[in-house]
Amino acid sequence: MLYYLIICRSLTYAQRTAAALERAGITARILRSPKSIAGEGCSHSVKISQRSLPDALLVLQRAELSPKRIFITAGDGSYQEVEL
Amino acid sequence: MIYLDSAATTLQKPSAVALASARAIRQLASPGRGGHRPAMAASETAFACREEAARLFHVPSPEQVVFTFNATHGLNIAIKTLVRPGSRVVISGYEHNAVTRPLHAMEGVEVRVAVSPLFDQRAALEAFRRELADRPDAVICTHVSNVFGFVLPIENIAALCRERGVPLIVDASQSAGCLPLDFQTLGADFIAMPGHKGLYGPQGTGLLLCGREPAPLLEGGTGSESLNQDMPAFLPDRLEAGTHNIAGIAGLLEGLRYLNRRGVDGIAAHERRLIRQMGVGLSALPGLRVFLSREESAQTGVLSFVMENKDCEVLGETLGDRGFALRAGLHCAPLAHKTAGTLDTGTVRASVSCFNTDQEIFQFLRAMRGLASGQ
Repeated sequence: MLYYLIICRSLTYAQRTAAALERAGITARILRSPKSIAGEGCSHSVKISQRSLPDALLVLQRAELSPKRIFITAGDGSYQEVEL
Repeated sequence: MIYLDSAATTLQKPSAVALASARAIRQLASPGRGGHRPAMAASETAFACREEAARLFHVPSPEQVVFTFNATHGLNIAIKTLVRPGSRVVISGYEHNAVTRPLHAMEGVEVRVAVSPLFDQRAALEAFRRELADRPDAVICTHVSNVFGFVLPIENIAALCRERGVPLIVDASQSAGCLPLDFQTLGADFIAMPGHKGLYGPQGTGLLLCGREPAPLLEGGTGSESLNQDMPAFLPDRLEAGTHNIAGIAGLLEGLRYLNRRGVDGIAAHERRLIRQMGVGLSALPGLRVFLSREESAQTGVLSFVMENKDCEVLGETLGDRGFALRAGLHCAPLAHKTAGTLDTGTVRASVSCFNTDQEIFQFLRAMRGLASGQ
């Protein structure tokens, strides 16, 4: 199953991001970013389903929570960055 | 024991506070350190605590709510961010050593005291207006004196600072949870507060509300940007190096929830009523000097008094022996005593929380009547 990982600058930012998405009815789960895409070391991501991305971006824009980077993955260890 | 020392630490807390701390010790790990369930549950608790504090103090974002170990920790961060050797700083005449000692420790800092008489809010504002005329580098002001319960006109002082573009640090040690406090309206650069007083959290907790980018006091692990050897630029990570006091934070969360449910206005009214009842009762006793404001709004639930020919520490100990917990001495605030003219004697301080009752005040007054009549 394909899903997106929204990379956040901090755990608290990830929590704000997930809270905004959940409030809008979008299922969002916080997890540690995979090391290969974590950037400057440890970070946290918010995982959402593939079909939620357009709505999620809209919600985050309204909440002024700009994602740092977004990756798409099939859960097989490969990650591809999505152009924002 | 009747506990009248809430200005130091509230002893009676909402029952959920201790339960949450105990549960946290058993079930919560470290926020941001691992993706397993105990770590994530700890992260959720920390975030909920930031959100609850942001709601209580009208902070725009939970990221601006930083966990500290006490108010002194937060004040040190704020002071060391804004004050440098050679800076000119204005403080009130009622500051605690948590403010004056960090300033004293910095070389070449010019500290000007906006001196004003006790309980005179108008004079306090005028004193700040005078001292702000030549635009100091920072103003540091307590919201409420920990010795006398005097409420400084912080909204007006903050407005003066905003007009003149002077950064402001507020010490809310005695007002957080006891008086309404609006971070956005004040526009302060930093507000520091303990978690273990009016917020009813455990000891070892505190909050720093940040209105500007701070300088870290400690460097270390944050669970973020581990490859970067500089501290992260973003809050709250920038100020939260090392493992969090998650058991304390879990308890603090319950204290904050209690306040948001009950409402600070009601607590302020309750505490003021008790302290006025106490002050009026003590003022009727012979040989007592009681520091009670004429205007109810100029004092919170803190009251100092002095007994003629009786050392304040001895009186405090006698009261302790009779089942009343009060604090005597200088209360770590020699400047406040100097301003009020009680540096030589010190005072005995009674301070209440929302859990004190009329009956307790009545019992205390009865004991004081006995002491005043030599029994």
